[in-house]
Amino acid sequence: MLNLIQDTIVHTQPESLGAAVEKAGHAHGQTDWSVAAIVALPLLACVLTGLCAALRVKSKLPAWITVASLAGAFALTLKTFAAHFMGAESHPFVVHVFDWVTFSWAADAHAQGPQTNELAANFAFYLDSLSALWMLFVTGLATLIALYASEYMSHDQGAGYCRFFAAFSLFVFSMACLVMADNLLLLYLGWEGVGLCSYLLIGYFYKKPSAVAAAKKAFIINRIGDLFLAMGVMLIFVQFGTVEYSVLFEKARPYIELARAGQFSQIPFLVKLIPCLLMGGAFGKSAQLPLYVWLPDAMEGPTPVSALIHAATMVTAGVFLIARTYPLFLLSEIALPVVAWVGALTALLSATIGMAQFDIKRIMAYSTVSQLGYMFCGLAVLSPSGGVFHVVTHAFFKALLFLCCGAVMHGFAGQLDLRKLSGVMKVPGWRIVGFGMLIGCLNLAGFPLTAGYFSKDMILAEAFVTPGTAVIGWILLITAGLTAYYTFRVFFRVFVGPVAYELGDEHHGADHGHDDGHGHGDAHGHAQAKGHADAHGHGGTHHEPHAPGWAINTVLATLAVLSLAATGLYFVGGDHGAVAGLVDQSSAGFHSPLAHHGAAEGAPAHEAGHAVVSYVPEFVHARAHGGEVHAGTIFGADPHKAMYFISAGVGAVGIFVAFWLHLAGRKSAATSRADALLPALGPIPGWAQGKWYVDEFYDFLVRKPLWVLSHIFYLIDSYLVDGLVDFIGAAPRAAGKVIRPSQSGELHGYALGMAGGLVILIVIVALVAT
Amino acid sequence: MTERLAFLYPEIVLFVATCVVMVLGLSRSLRARKSSAVVAGVSVLLAGFLAVVSTPRGSGDAACPLSGFVYSHALTPAMGQVLLPELAPYAKAVIALVGALLLLPMAGTVDRTDEARIAAGKAGFDPLRSNRAEFYAFYLFSLTGLMLCASADNLIWLFLALELTSLPTYIMVAISTSRNRSREAGVKYFFLGALGAAVFLYGFALVYGGTGTTNLNAIAHSISTGGLNTITLLGVVVSLLGLCFKIAAAPMHFYTPDVYEGAAPQVSGFLAFVPKTAGFIAILLLCAAVGWGYSHADSGVGSLLHAVSAEPLVQGTGRRLPYLLWLMIWVVAALTMTIGNVLAVLQRSVKRMLAYSSIAHSGYMLVGVLAGPGDSASTSGVSAVLFYLLAYGVMNAGTFAVLAALERGTDSEGQPVEVETLDDLRGLCASHPLLGWTMVVCSLSLLGLPPLLGFFGKLPLFTSGIAAGQITLVVVLGLNSAIAAFYYLRLAFTPLLESRDESEAPPALAPFRSRMAGAVIAAVGVLVLSAIGGWAMGHAFDAATVKGAGAIAPRGH
Repeated sequence: MLNLIQDTIVHTQPESLGAAVEKAGHAHGQTDWSVAAIVALPLLACVLTGLCAALRVKSKLPAWITVASLAGAFALTLKTFAAHFMGAESHPFVVHVFDWVTFSWAADAHAQGPQTNELAANFAFYLDSLSALWMLFVTGLATLIALYASEYMSHDQGAGYCRFFAAFSLFVFSMACLVMADNLLLLYLGWEGVGLCSYLLIGYFYKKPSAVAAAKKAFIINRIGDLFLAMGVMLIFVQFGTVEYSVLFEKARPYIELARAGQFSQIPFLVKLIPCLLMGGAFGKSAQLPLYVWLPDAMEGPTPVSALIHAATMVTAGVFLIARTYPLFLLSEIALPVVAWVGALTALLSATIGMAQFDIKRIMAYSTVSQLGYMFCGLAVLSPSGGVFHVVTHAFFKALLFLCCGAVMHGFAGQLDLRKLSGVMKVPGWRIVGFGMLIGCLNLAGFPLTAGYFSKDMILAEAFVTPGTAVIGWILLITAGLTAYYTFRVFFRVFVGPVAYELGDEHHGADHGHDDGHGHGDAHGHAQAKGHADAHGHGGTHHEPHAPGWAINTVLATLAVLSLAATGLYFVGGDHGAVAGLVDQSSAGFHSPLAHHGAAEGAPAHEAGHAVVSYVPEFVHARAHGGEVHAGTIFGADPHKAMYFISAGVGAVGIFVAFWLHLAGRKSAATSRADALLPALGPIPGWAQGKWYVDEFYDFLVRKPLWVLSHIFYLIDSYLVDGLVDFIGAAPRAAGKVIRPSQSGELHGYALGMAGGLVILIVIVALVAT
Repeated sequence: MTERLAFLYPEIVLFVATCVVMVLGLSRSLRARKSSAVVAGVSVLLAGFLAVVSTPRGSGDAACPLSGFVYSHALTPAMGQVLLPELAPYAKAVIALVGALLLLPMAGTVDRTDEARIAAGKAGFDPLRSNRAEFYAFYLFSLTGLMLCASADNLIWLFLALELTSLPTYIMVAISTSRNRSREAGVKYFFLGALGAAVFLYGFALVYGGTGTTNLNAIAHSISTGGLNTITLLGVVVSLLGLCFKIAAAPMHFYTPDVYEGAAPQVSGFLAFVPKTAGFIAILLLCAAVGWGYSHADSGVGSLLHAVSAEPLVQGTGRRLPYLLWLMIWVVAALTMTIGNVLAVLQRSVKRMLAYSSIAHSGYMLVGVLAGPGDSASTSGVSAVLFYLLAYGVMNAGTFAVLAALERGTDSEGQPVEVETLDDLRGLCASHPLLGWTMVVCSLSLLGLPPLLGFFGKLPLFTSGIAAGQITLVVVLGLNSAIAAFYYLRLAFTPLLESRDESEAPPALAPFRSRMAGAVIAAVGVLVLSAIGGWAMGHAFDAATVKGAGAIAPRGH
């Protein structure tokens, strides 16, 4: 199964990535404006919707502008993709738009390390199969979700509508910068841009305190991750003297050779530190332990935002970062193992939390965190193609799931509690939503022959193949079972079973209703939502759910079809499907020129005595030599084959348990057979429902000490610093008062002053000279 | 011959224009009289244009027929100073641009009441009473002198050019208003200016005595080959102290606040740029003749004597000015900026505050003089000074133009009353938004707030100071910038944030639209130059090319 590497391909690869980039660059001659337009169109949409806001447009115009621009961007991405990356072999190329940052300074003769005196970061796009693939689903999903939002947000038409779509377009622009950046500085711009848009959109209902708090939480926790990323980028510049990928990878090559030879002790510590810092950025943006706590709260934003930003695209930026800088992650023997453990533990932890939640959107949020953990594991167990494939399939089915939940929330007046909804599929007009949800759930649960099944399998199997990561594999396998359970818990509770529902507190049946305040599992959010509804005087409960309109249904149907069709990606174009083929040719792939430098062939084999705690060296070494690694087996069988059956079995068990506990014999919406089991488990379900009190723990560990510290600093500031400042402010005045009399206004006084000053200075000079 | 004249095209244009203006200003026709200012402005711009396009540039060896030297790297085939061979085009272009900007607020400075009476038919035109011709002619003479400074290759030339720059300004100050205060200021300025001129002329004489020549290139050669003897060193020290008068640096700064306050604001703005630029060009020329190639131990009183005894007074052993010169400029720079800033903090009068701040800015620029040449725009102090002159010229023109564009009615003699204190500027952004915002932009820029022009001007002063190892002085510079924030923020926020009492009428606009235009153009210039500062700084760096003294070899004497 694992003959990813053929010698023929090895030898046809160009000498170096840098050379390949340059060649492609020459072939393309001048700037390819169609590529630039992919980025420019969302920005244009942002500007135009901003104008709409300024002109107080009340229609759906902003939505149509956004949808049209994003569709244009998608079409251009498709064109670029078809032109450059459809073949068996593709070369990365750079599209230079304009010089962005060029800063040079005098070289310091005593400087250590690489001699450099220039920081150059152009507004240029680096297109390889990885970024093209990413852009394909980012722009595609953004178009669909913008269309969905045109209906979903229609109750806010006016200033809020414009604001929403402006931020939405700005997000796509930032994401495009992030993904297509030719250098880490532009990536950082995009990184901060998506963080900003995420903040703006989570806090879209800015009158609701919980939304504002969630937005702040997301932003602050992301800043922690961003700090690590920034330090990583700086360290890269310090160590390699560049932030451009093509140059960077070229300069990192000697270290990669060392890593491949297993000689990690010869790689400087600061170089090994780079992946560890980048990792911190990735964990923040992609909501991994210990920085995952912001993502569930981010569900305060409108659902299309949750679907696009907090499920499908932005949160995968961390995965993208690692995939993009994958060669650097091979430089440290601990970087990938740490990523693997963090991913696996995050996957397990959030799955357990997801099992105990009642808010269906929140369950989906925890499942996103969990699935992101899978993706990181995929990268970290040396299956970048598996990780990226999972990103793609997950993007589709998770967007679908969120949009279905959003449709329910939209139709049932903000009701998201699965104890208050049942048999939704049987309500007239809800069939498409129900089927969409089913397809999404099957994918998420890893039901055999769905796309999610194949992508998850690639990761799981590789975890067992890669030496030393079998424990990770087991954790992920257990998590897969839990995932199947909580996914279908939602489906069986909400969409099938007896028809019974209770509408939420937010009735936008009235013309001026608002879609803010989702019913939350936790009491706090509930109280807010109630308060809001009361404030607006919508107290009635006699409203009927209103079924989704054409826009929502079209999008759901399209996404359902795409989620199913994603399965096909596994069967076309190569051993592990089209995505694997694409990933292999990018910076993350073992087919990439980086992984196949001639020198590796002659490198001494990794000595057994070199007791590296990591599995990375030998594995990379073996991979690089085109060898197969069968270090791991599962029940004595080839993990790749065995996994097809094992994971299918685990998934089926999870679904069956969910069926037995939550559907079979259920008579009402609120109770199920599972309730009988709860006492047997003691306090554990309560802890899981309380999210293992991680938020409270952080509160105790970080916020409280900071609060105390800030009060101490306040005292210091108001007494010591202010006093000092007052004193310093007074000093120039006092000095001025002393010398003021010299400005008497009298001519002879001035002349005397001049002559006196002259004499004094000359005397000083004369004294010093003699 | 024409090749040699090409160096003087700008000055020739200005001189011709001066003659024309003198005649036009005395014309009986109002139109002709009014056109004198236009002629002056056009000629200044034309001179700047000619300086850029017609100044001969070349490379390779060339003989200088006047001084009898062969410059191995001279860019000037015929004549001109080769210590800063690229200086003239840049300096003259800056002088022309800022000079033209300073001309705009000068409309109506002189003859205002007379012209009003003539227009009202109460009096006929009397050439003996009119000052217009002289005023614009003096303006042009002063700029001519300033441009001549930039291409001076001889101490005598330099002295004459400096005096040609200054002498007209004495009279411009005196006639800028018809109040006694202006006359007093003019007289003070004249006497103290004469004292200053005497000092640096004495210094020039000592330099001549020490080196046997007045040609700057020959002086540089003599110093680089024969070392720096005591007489020459004393001469340079005295000359620099004398030139401190021109740049309003301690201990020659006393006149500044009185003269600036006494003159009309538009003339004060002129004083803040023109003599200062002349002084800095002269200082740079003198320092270039001595050279920045000496070595001495780091500053500090402890190492002082040791440093002096160990210092070889020979060019080419290090990267600094000779120790004594360095020490003197260090002390003058630190004193100047500190005195300027701490006294500015106390002022309520805007003009006095700007006068003191002008002293402080000279102190800042002296840091660049100390830092000397470097190999990039961020390490070259000379380039930093040249760029700062442009930046300061534009920002400063804006603040004074705002003052010129406002007046508070007329006094008992029918004279317009100037805007005096900060209180008069309260709520200016509300009553006169363009002028108010100009004041805000220009004063924030003078403060050096990023991303405005002043910041980009100050930044190379800092970096070049650090590159030259003047850490202590850079710290002093930083502290002074902080003190400057105190009064510049007040100047920026009084128009913006404070509101005027209902009972007080806001200041009226002066009835000359070009004054307001001058202010607005300066503000726009600040913003534009902030954006394209890198481009201008590149030109400043090119102009800051300093030829090592070793590059100049005599051809037989």
